[in-house]
Amino acid sequence: MQKRADRSARAARRTRNRLRLGDGATLVLLALMLFPFLWLVQMSFRPNADILGYELAFTPTLAHYRALWTGAFPGSFVNSLVTSTASTALALLIGVPAAYSLSRAGFRSSRSIALWILATRMAPPIAFTIPFFLAYRFLGLSDTRTGLILIYLTFNLALVIWMMKPYFDSVPRELEEAAWIDGCGIWSAFWRVTLPLSSPGLAATAVICFILSWNDFFYALILTRTQASTAPVAIVNFIQYTGWEWGRIAAAGTLVMLPVVAFSILVRNYLVRGLAAGGVKE
Amino acid sequence: MRFGDRTLRRDDAFRLGLAPALIVLAVITIGPALFLVLTSLTPLNLTLPDTAWDFSTPLGNYLDLLDDPRFSRSVWVQVKLSVATVAVQLLMGLGVALLLNADTPIRRFARSGFLIPMVLPPIVVGIIWRVMYAVDISPFHRFMDWIGLPVGSLITNPDTALMAIVIAESWEWFPFTMLMALAALQMVPAAPVEAARIDGANDWQTFRYVIFPYIQQTMLVAGIFRLIDSIKAFPLIFVLTDGGPGDVTEVTNYYAYRQAFTFSLWGYGSAIATLMVIGIFVLSWAIDRLTRAADAEAG
Repeated sequence: MQKRADRSARAARRTRNRLRLGDGATLVLLALMLFPFLWLVQMSFRPNADILGYELAFTPTLAHYRALWTGAFPGSFVNSLVTSTASTALALLIGVPAAYSLSRAGFRSSRSIALWILATRMAPPIAFTIPFFLAYRFLGLSDTRTGLILIYLTFNLALVIWMMKPYFDSVPRELEEAAWIDGCGIWSAFWRVTLPLSSPGLAATAVICFILSWNDFFYALILTRTQASTAPVAIVNFIQYTGWEWGRIAAAGTLVMLPVVAFSILVRNYLVRGLAAGGVKE
Repeated sequence: MRFGDRTLRRDDAFRLGLAPALIVLAVITIGPALFLVLTSLTPLNLTLPDTAWDFSTPLGNYLDLLDDPRFSRSVWVQVKLSVATVAVQLLMGLGVALLLNADTPIRRFARSGFLIPMVLPPIVVGIIWRVMYAVDISPFHRFMDWIGLPVGSLITNPDTALMAIVIAESWEWFPFTMLMALAALQMVPAAPVEAARIDGANDWQTFRYVIFPYIQQTMLVAGIFRLIDSIKAFPLIFVLTDGGPGDVTEVTNYYAYRQAFTFSLWGYGSAIATLMVIGIFVLSWAIDRLTRAADAEAG
């Protein structure tokens, strides 16, 4: 009896030690992995005279951020905000009813629609950019926010349908049927019963759409010049005009990544589903 | 009868809900795809107006691609980049996931921390690594100097430029394979793992023969997703090497971009993009087959 208690105490100690060792390894690895990212953040606070320095003790300055404030950067930040928000809202407005319809109606074509949506997710952006660029020249949509909002729909709309359909699948139909019997129409039952029940999924979908639009560089690089250029393009532009002015570049990069880092930690648990778009089974 | 009527009316309502999305999707995806294929059959060059809608030699661009050494080199660069980044990401992702697959407060916190590289705007990832690779300011280069092993710039040396891109790209995307591996690991039932331990299996044996069979399907799918996305690599190459030195980091996507947007050879660029779409669809078809096979296995 005594012996067995000893053995299990030893086993418990071993497990505890292993966990502690793993925790230590996790922290070391995390610090190593995030080092390049943190380095850029600290550079953005370093005074210009000391920008190449590496002592951890320096007097942080907001000079680089202030310099950004006076240039073209705030405007591009607003462009990013407007195009990402508008494209997300539009994708939800069109995509959510579609996802619900696909979830509830037994269309024979559901499988081909799902494949079409997956194909949209997979297609290389260059294949969209060439025709959009040529068409926008013709339609006068080059260098406009509208043009960007439209092209962002190519990925956002597919993502909304793909992410929302499983949520609607998991809401029991009995609840809606009860609402129908009480005299609700299909869409009012959807609005009052199903949608509130899927609101966490809806919020996560919205955040992921926003992040993907916000992060876009390729489309904005090609389809905008000055008027509608977004923050990622503005960074590249001032690298081209003023050279590698490290402090300002670091500050701009930090500002651009701030919203996405905050948002994505909020929706961490939904990221796999959003980014793998159907590759993972629930 | 009344019930049947209602179901029909309901289906009409659902059609109405689906229609706007399908119309918009058709306009923004099928329309451009057809336009792309049509353009690829012409020698369109915006500086020569006559070249628009000139279908006299429809396969001209594709025949030219056959003996364009820069195109075949770009495909080879793409293959090297894709194979290397996918392999590194799978190994790193799985390794980190195994480490994080224990429920302690530190690991839960670290799960959020590790995913930061993946959600950063790709242009910022480019800048982060541009700093790391800049000989005069990089802490990495300073460290190598300090331990007495100075290295030259990795991104301007043709022998190391592609490797530098692979490192940055793997850093950016290993969180994706990590998240997928972690999700799969958390689905592994505890009983067989326990049983293997009691039977005296060591850690490696438990992983290889008990845990791995449960997660290999997910790892395969994660790998294919990363493979397809690696074909779209752009911002990192744009910021770090611009396809150079020479064309050692010029992947097919970048080459298509150059042809269309730098040289204004729209027809030629479209032909390359069309081939990329075909290649990617073949890979997507493979994913669909694999996930369906997995469903059948599980179901």
